[in-house]
Amino acid sequence: MRWKRYWQWGLLLLGLVVVVATRYNAPLYQQPLIQVTATQTLHQTTTQDEFHNRDRQSTQQVSGRLLNGSRRGQTVQARNTYTASSALDQRYRKGQQVFVSLTNHGVQLKDLKRDTVVLGLLYLVVAVVLLLLRWPGLLALVSVVANFALFFCAIELDLMWHSTGFLTLFGVLALLFTGITLRLVLGRTRQMLVVFLATVSGTGLAMGLSALTLALTQHQGLYFESVAYVTQVAPQPLFLAATLLGSLGAVMDQATDIVAALFTLKTDQPTISAAALFQAGRQVGRTIMGPLINVLLLIFVAEAFPLAVLLLRNGNSWGYTFDMTMSLGLAQSLISGIGIVLTVPLTSFFASRLFVRQPKH
Amino acid sequence: MNTLLVLSGLLLFVMVLVGGRQGAAAFLSLWLNFGCLFLAILLVALQFSPLLVALVLGILMLALIIFVGQDDLLVTQTAFFAAVLVLVVLLVLMVPVEYWAAVQGFGLEDSDTLEGLSLLVGIDFVKVSIATAVLSTLGAIAEAAMAVAAGLSALLRQHPAISTRRLFHAGLTTGQRIIGTTFNTLFFGFFGGFLGLFIWFVNLQYTLGELLNNKVLIAEVLLVLFALLGVVLTVPLTALVMAKRVGYQRKKAA
Repeated sequence: MRWKRYWQWGLLLLGLVVVVATRYNAPLYQQPLIQVTATQTLHQTTTQDEFHNRDRQSTQQVSGRLLNGSRRGQTVQARNTYTASSALDQRYRKGQQVFVSLTNHGVQLKDLKRDTVVLGLLYLVVAVVLLLLRWPGLLALVSVVANFALFFCAIELDLMWHSTGFLTLFGVLALLFTGITLRLVLGRTRQMLVVFLATVSGTGLAMGLSALTLALTQHQGLYFESVAYVTQVAPQPLFLAATLLGSLGAVMDQATDIVAALFTLKTDQPTISAAALFQAGRQVGRTIMGPLINVLLLIFVAEAFPLAVLLLRNGNSWGYTFDMTMSLGLAQSLISGIGIVLTVPLTSFFASRLFVRQPKH
Repeated sequence: MNTLLVLSGLLLFVMVLVGGRQGAAAFLSLWLNFGCLFLAILLVALQFSPLLVALVLGILMLALIIFVGQDDLLVTQTAFFAAVLVLVVLLVLMVPVEYWAAVQGFGLEDSDTLEGLSLLVGIDFVKVSIATAVLSTLGAIAEAAMAVAAGLSALLRQHPAISTRRLFHAGLTTGQRIIGTTFNTLFFGFFGGFLGLFIWFVNLQYTLGELLNNKVLIAEVLLVLFALLGVVLTVPLTALVMAKRVGYQRKKAA
């Protein structure tokens, strides 16, 4: 017990060391880095664009010490132009570490070094999970990491195959995700089998129905040209794969909660009939499905916030802004919602079949 | 026919079929939440303070998710109070982190989308990024708070005389049970949206160093981390609110 506690504190300390070390890891980077030692505002102008938006543009002189490369230790000067709204630029402050490019013409500021802040927050999350939720919390994190690794492998595979069979690949990936996640959360039990069957059939049914709807309505009102970061995969399959993966976790969540409740019920009342179990499952499911769909809605649609604000300030109508930033996210939420709702009767059905032993004839 | 209309008609149909009156209420809450989100964007575009808009509409949205269609007042009131508490704690953390990370607005990968748009619109995009973080975590906080409060309410029905101390610890145990699946909801929910971005990164062979400092990626990762942290904090805070509330009621009754 005591050893276990030391182990935990050791882990926490090690993490802290790693986070602090990122302030001093500049030699690991190929790209030159500086630490800002002084800044000075040179001039400021007030700007007005064609939509009468007022903004303030400033130019600052940034002095910094080079942290890596052959000129390490030298002090260099650079200019930075930034705006008050900072949509694509930023003001630099003393103490910040910044990527730069060194050319014959001088020094150009590229981008802020962000590894310390992201690892710091990651560390905080892991520490809080460990301290509050102990082992089950750690297991939950492990399943997230495992899924992430799998996700990356799938993308590598997709690029190797030049995106032929893109949807098939991600369909198979979804099956693997479901299997691995449930194995880690539930173990190899009858409950896992029920959740697996319900998740696969619920998601599959929802995706099928949605693909059918999209085809029949000729995806009117969905603007696939607004899909961001399109490279070699066509926007529509990309959208469908994103929807499939996006809804998977919530559907599993829904099915797991129902199964856990029904398993407890069955243990308490071993003689309960299949029909009663089915009804109980529906009862549990209908209270969870609402909040769960809202979780996804907010994740899918809130991301549109900055672009939507920008479009509105650029004199676009509400309708156009909605079409370009929110229509796809909303469609994803609706499709996921259908999957989550369909999972309720499906889980209850599979549970009532598999938990209640059939009378022998 | 408009695809969104057909999809939402389909969703309403299955929701009522499966959930009856509660299903219809859930459908209503979904659209009200979307309305609030749209309103938040409009208000910020009209130059209201993004932080104030996120806080006020965020609390309204928590209420919509938690109260609409649910009957047990002990569960909903406890969950709502705890969720608001978590929101405030998170906001205190989000403000310095978003300023520190400077991941506001857009990155170089967004160049295509931004073509022809004026970026000098006079709205502080760091504040917009904080508002985005607040709004995208709300659902997860509400859901976790409801789950813990519902679990404790069921426990109170079975053991009405349970001590507040044991009630609090039972809350943590409930949290341990739900955390695995909630993490997965968040993981898949966010990563489904990043699919295009990840293909982009792998395709253009970004190095680990580039990824760890990339503005667009770090912006998304921070959203996920805030959401995870929100859920984890919700567990003890909901248990605490429930224990305090039951303790207070008992004192009043005695």
